Amino acid sequence: MNASAHPSVVTLRAENVAKAFVSGRLRTQVLDGLSLSIEAGELTLISGPSGCGKSTLLAILSGLQNVDAGRVLALDSELGQLDRGQLEGFRLRHTGFVFQGFNLFPALNAREQVELPLHYLGLSRERARARAVHSLEEVGLARRMGLKPAELSGGEKQRVAIARALAKRPQLLFADEPTSALDAASGQTIIDILHRIARTHGTTVLCVSHDPRLIGHADRVLAMEDGRILSDRRVSASPAPHLGTPS
Amino acid sequence: MVALARKTLVHEWRRFLPAILAVGFAGLLQLLQAALVLGIFGSASVYITGSAADLWIGYPGTQSVNLGRAIDPNVEARVLMDPAVAKVEPFIWLDADWRGHADTGGESVFVSGIDPQSAGLMFAHALPPALRARLEEPDAVIVDRADIDKLGVAIGGTAAINGHTVRVVGVSSGLRALGGVNVVSSLATARELDTDPADGGRPTYWVASLRDPAQAGAVAARLRGDGAFGPYEVWTAQGFARRSVLYWMLDTGAGAGVLFLAGIVFLVGAVITSQTLVAAVAGSVREYATLNALGVGVGALRWVVLEQAFWVGALGLLGATVLGAVLLALARGQDVPVVLDIPVTLACVVLAMGLAGVSGLAAIRSLRRADPASLLR
Repeated sequence: MNASAHPSVVTLRAENVAKAFVSGRLRTQVLDGLSLSIEAGELTLISGPSGCGKSTLLAILSGLQNVDAGRVLALDSELGQLDRGQLEGFRLRHTGFVFQGFNLFPALNAREQVELPLHYLGLSRERARARAVHSLEEVGLARRMGLKPAELSGGEKQRVAIARALAKRPQLLFADEPTSALDAASGQTIIDILHRIARTHGTTVLCVSHDPRLIGHADRVLAMEDGRILSDRRVSASPAPHLGTPS
Repeated sequence: MVALARKTLVHEWRRFLPAILAVGFAGLLQLLQAALVLGIFGSASVYITGSAADLWIGYPGTQSVNLGRAIDPNVEARVLMDPAVAKVEPFIWLDADWRGHADTGGESVFVSGIDPQSAGLMFAHALPPALRARLEEPDAVIVDRADIDKLGVAIGGTAAINGHTVRVVGVSSGLRALGGVNVVSSLATARELDTDPADGGRPTYWVASLRDPAQAGAVAARLRGDGAFGPYEVWTAQGFARRSVLYWMLDTGAGAGVLFLAGIVFLVGAVITSQTLVAAVAGSVREYATLNALGVGVGALRWVVLEQAFWVGALGLLGATVLGAVLLALARGQDVPVVLDIPVTLACVVLAMGLAGVSGLAAIRSLRRADPASLLR
C-alpha cells in the first residue's frame, strides 16, 4: 500500500494558535498565531532546534495542553471545548503516543505492556491479548513478547512502546523524539515502523524530532524555529520502508 | 486485566518492604498492647470469669469486684424466691496481710472464701474438683503457681494470714490478681481470717446460677430495686466483669494510655507507609503519565495506587498475625496474662488496614505529577 490508497484527509488542524509560558514575571511566547493542517496516511515530521516550540505544538495538537488563543480541530472535535474527562476519552479512543523515554512498567513483560491500556478500552481479556500479540508481531517482536524491559534493548523497548500505541488502533499517532535515545540502526527501524503504520493503517503520524537523519524518511517535513513554521515541504522519493526489520 | 498493582509489588518488593513492615509492626504492636492490657486488667475480673455464676449480687454501687462490702445474708432468700434461679452461693472477698516463714516480709493478699464442694459455682473454671476438695480441711489455702515464689512458701508449707496460721494445700493456674496475690480458701476459713468486726461473717457477694443463663439480663433487672431485704444490687456476670475491668482501666489511666499509644503507632506507621508509597508512585510517575496520555483516566490510576496500598496492608497484617500468634503463645507459656477477643482483634485489623488506606490516599496526591505534557521535551 502507499499514500495514494488514502486520499488526502486533514485530520489535525491548528488555527491561529498561541501559547505562552509564564515563569515568575517572565512570560515566554512559544507559539504565536500558528496555523497548519496535517493529513492522514502520512508521516509528518516537525523538525527544529531545541526550544523552537515543536514539543509544545505536539502537546497542543494531541490535547495534552490547552491553547491560550486560537483553536485545534482533531478528527472534527474542537479540543478546547472538551473537559478533562472528555479529553481523556478522546485520547483513549483516537490517539497513540510514543515518547523519547520508553516509559515501560518494569514489572510487566512486553505483551502485558501492550495489553494494559486495551483493558481500559473495554476489550475482553482474550481480544486484548490477541491485539497485543498482533501489534507486537507487527513491530517485529513476535519472539520477545515474554520479556520485561530490563531484558530488552533500547530499540526493542521503543518498539514495545510503539506496539502499545498501535494496539489501540488510533487514528492519530504522536511521536516525540522517538529516536533520540537510540543508535542509528535502531532509530532507522523505528522511523520505518512509524512510516509503515501511516501507510498501511492510514494513520496520521506526527513526529517531532531534531534528529536530521529522520528527514529523508518522512512524507512531509515542517521546519520550525522560534514558534513559527519556516518551511513546509513534501519529500517525494521516500525510501520504501522495510517491514518488521529487527534492530 | 493486567494486574499492574500486584505485579509491581512483586517485582519491586524491596521498594515496598518498608511499608509492609510498617503496617505489620503497627498491627503487631497494637495487637500485643491490646492483648496485654486485656490480660492484665482482665485479671481484675478473674473472680467472675473463672466462676460459673450467671448473676452477682453485691453492695449497691460497687465499681469493681475487689471493692465489695459485706451485704445482708437475707438477700439470699430474695434471690432464691425467683423461679429462674437454680442455685445461690455466698462469696467472701477480703483484703489481708500475708506473712511467710521465708524472708519475704509482708505481702498484701486477697482472700477468696468459696464453697469448696465440687458443684460450687465460685472458681468452677479455675479450680478442678479434686483441688477444691482439699479446701475442706480447716485453714487450707490455695495460691497461684505464679505467686508461690513471691509468697515464700511451697505446697504443704504454712504461713500466717492476719495472724492466723494457714497451710498451702495446692496451687492453681490463671488466678493471678491485679495489685496483689489471690489466696483461695473455704468460706469457713475465710471467716476465721476476717478480722473486721463490721463484716460479722457476712458474705461480700451472693452469686447465683440460672436455669437458663440466657435470661441473665432479664432476671437481674427483675431482682433489682427490691429494698425489703436490705441494700443490694444485681449484675450479670458479664456486666460485672466488664464494670471491674473498665474501673481498673480508667482508674489507672491505662485506658487513656492505650488510646494514646494507638494514636502514636497509627501516626508513625502512616508516615512511613505513605512515604514509601509516595516514593513508589514517584518512581513510576512517567509510566503513569504515559498511560494517562494514552487516555487511561486519572481515576483508574488512583485505583492502582489504592490497590497497592491494600496489598501492602494485607501482607503486613499477614506477617503481624503469624508473629503475633507466636509471641502470644510464648507469653502464655510464661504465665504472662494476655487475652485477645474477636472485637479487639478486628479493631486491630481495621486500624492496620485503615493505616494502609490513609497512606494510599496520601500517595494518590503524588499522581498529580503524572502530567503527560511533562513527558514532552
